[in-house]
Amino acid sequence: MAESILEVENLRKYYLQPRGLFSPFKTEKRIIPAVDDVSFYIKKNETMGLVGETGCGKTTIGRSILKLTPVTSGRVIFNGTDITHLTPSEFRPYRRQMQMIFQDLDAALNPKMRIKSILTEALTVHHKLSEAEINHRIEELLEKVNLKKSKLSSFSGELSGGEKRRVGIARSLAVGARFLVADEPTSALDVSIQAQVVNLLKDLQKNLGLSYLFISHDLRIVELLSHKVAVMYLGRIVEMGLAGRIANAPRHPYTRILWSSLLKKKSQEATQVPSDQHDGRWGVFDFERSYSGCRFAPRCPVYEAKGNPAICSDPANAPKLSDIGNGHKVSCHFPLE
Amino acid sequence: MNSRPVLKIENLRTFFYSKGKRAFVRSVDGVNLRIGKGETLGIVGESGSGKSVTALSIMGLVPGEPGVIIGKIGLKTDNIQKNLLQDLRDYVKINMSTGRIMEVYKDNVGWQKNVDRVMQGIRGTEIAMIFQNPKLALNPFIPIGKQITESIRINTPIKKRSQARERAMYWLAKVKMDSPRLRYYNNPYGLSGGMCQRAMIAMALSSDPSLLIADEPTTGLDATIQSKIVDLLADLKSSVGVTTMLISHDINVIKALSDNVAVMYGGTLLEHGPVGIILSAEHQAKHPYTAALLESIPREKHIREKGYLQAIKGDVLDTINIPLGCRFYSRCDKVTEKIQEKCDNHEPDLREISSGHSLRCWLYYE
Repeated sequence: MAESILEVENLRKYYLQPRGLFSPFKTEKRIIPAVDDVSFYIKKNETMGLVGETGCGKTTIGRSILKLTPVTSGRVIFNGTDITHLTPSEFRPYRRQMQMIFQDLDAALNPKMRIKSILTEALTVHHKLSEAEINHRIEELLEKVNLKKSKLSSFSGELSGGEKRRVGIARSLAVGARFLVADEPTSALDVSIQAQVVNLLKDLQKNLGLSYLFISHDLRIVELLSHKVAVMYLGRIVEMGLAGRIANAPRHPYTRILWSSLLKKKSQEATQVPSDQHDGRWGVFDFERSYSGCRFAPRCPVYEAKGNPAICSDPANAPKLSDIGNGHKVSCHFPLE
Repeated sequence: MNSRPVLKIENLRTFFYSKGKRAFVRSVDGVNLRIGKGETLGIVGESGSGKSVTALSIMGLVPGEPGVIIGKIGLKTDNIQKNLLQDLRDYVKINMSTGRIMEVYKDNVGWQKNVDRVMQGIRGTEIAMIFQNPKLALNPFIPIGKQITESIRINTPIKKRSQARERAMYWLAKVKMDSPRLRYYNNPYGLSGGMCQRAMIAMALSSDPSLLIADEPTTGLDATIQSKIVDLLADLKSSVGVTTMLISHDINVIKALSDNVAVMYGGTLLEHGPVGIILSAEHQAKHPYTAALLESIPREKHIREKGYLQAIKGDVLDTINIPLGCRFYSRCDKVTEKIQEKCDNHEPDLREISSGHSLRCWLYYE
């Protein structure tokens, strides 16, 4: 077994929501458990996919790992070092090795800087380099991410979506990152450009031995890129395992619904649309809803089919992520066969 | 295609003047389209190929000053028959043989006024539009129900507030909003993206339009919500039967909903025909661009083997410097030596190669 590059243990991130103007003086606060008791590890040269609907805490996990947001409790271990409680100056050498590819590159790239300055800034922030070295490194980077040299003098607004994405990846690689959190790198891109970016990510992994935490809600891309996949629902991992198993033999009802919505779309005929009894409940999930026991129970078809068993809604008996063989973990009282 | 067209676009060109580059960006460059009654026309293409600008041109939402628009847009419905487009010819000097614009007179404010006069009673009433980002398109401070009621009172003969409210509730139920009577009083920020999109669809359909333009209705939504919205649109298509122009870069969405498909690239149509011919993987005779687009979708095979995807090399055509020859030539991988010279120097025209299926490629011409 290869050494793991990143381990996350019992990560929790709670947001406090202020209630009204005088909330600082109030003792009662509403807690939003964006990430609740999440543990996983990523091996070297491996990709872990993280899927789930909007608002389930995918991005918060990515941000907590990179210490872009402080965690409530839990540990993040990078390369054998616990980085959770490092001070900013102690964390600097690790920051060099772990980087993020942001979702919205229009916001992530400075519109008033030329591409060359963006890359130069990334190169010089951690290392002292001479002019010649910088130019040499930039050339290397451009070659790695397949970008034309003529684009160096452009502003980010003049680039296409795929080119911007490449600049974002080049900037992450500039500091010598070995672990990348890719937060929805292909959303809002056309299929043709998406294919280019996916191929680039695969190439980089092969040539530079990178590890990715790949956050996305595009299930096909996740399945294609990832070795392992974790499925999240309302701040918890409900199922985790090898990509092929998760996609083809899901054990958690939620995973099955996620992947079947994809299959349905694929084979859909314009005239025949299968009706869905769960229409009303679809999309009305949020942290404000009170739940007890299993968080998925209000939407769960199995829960309904079994006649609302008490164990699913018993607060003392929330399902735990348990191994069902071959590293396939599922958190459900009645896993599917 | 037998039914009479609701919308007929002839030789539409929409250009924008870029001050920095001192040149025209030719976003839409000679598009001919017709949409039959009850038909759904899907328009696919990468971003920057002119899909949305076509829609905005139809709605008369292209700003007069940097935008220049010529051609013909004819709308023919049960109530109205009108040429929507005020040709800019009186306001600019155009070289008609090349379509190139020689000079823009400074005073084209009159044109803008004309457009607004023509579009009165058509925007929202005869042609409704669903925008890409429902959260931005709805007013965040007004409950969605109220916004729909307002739209009904303006755009339909129903003027009484109570009747309009009933109508709004009916449409909210029709788009399968859960508990419509409660959601009526919700502000857009209290609703999820999928629910806002449902409200947008309800508002667009509430005025009983002859033509619905859906500009990327599912982009930016989750996979599960996306398939729900697609289901809903398919459902409404069979129950309401509204003529729709569906714009998307998601081929799966287009495939699920359209009858006919137009493939746009660099401001022109490269291919046009029934969905079964254009977007099926089996059908061989298709434009190289369409084939490449279909190839770049991840398939079972790629996922199983964890292989590479088929990307289209290069980037979307820069519509300022339009090449002399085929617009897709620089990215095309099906160019043979025999036709290479033609592809490079002569632009192919849109020719019909089988019934209802036309495309623009030298490969298929004798």
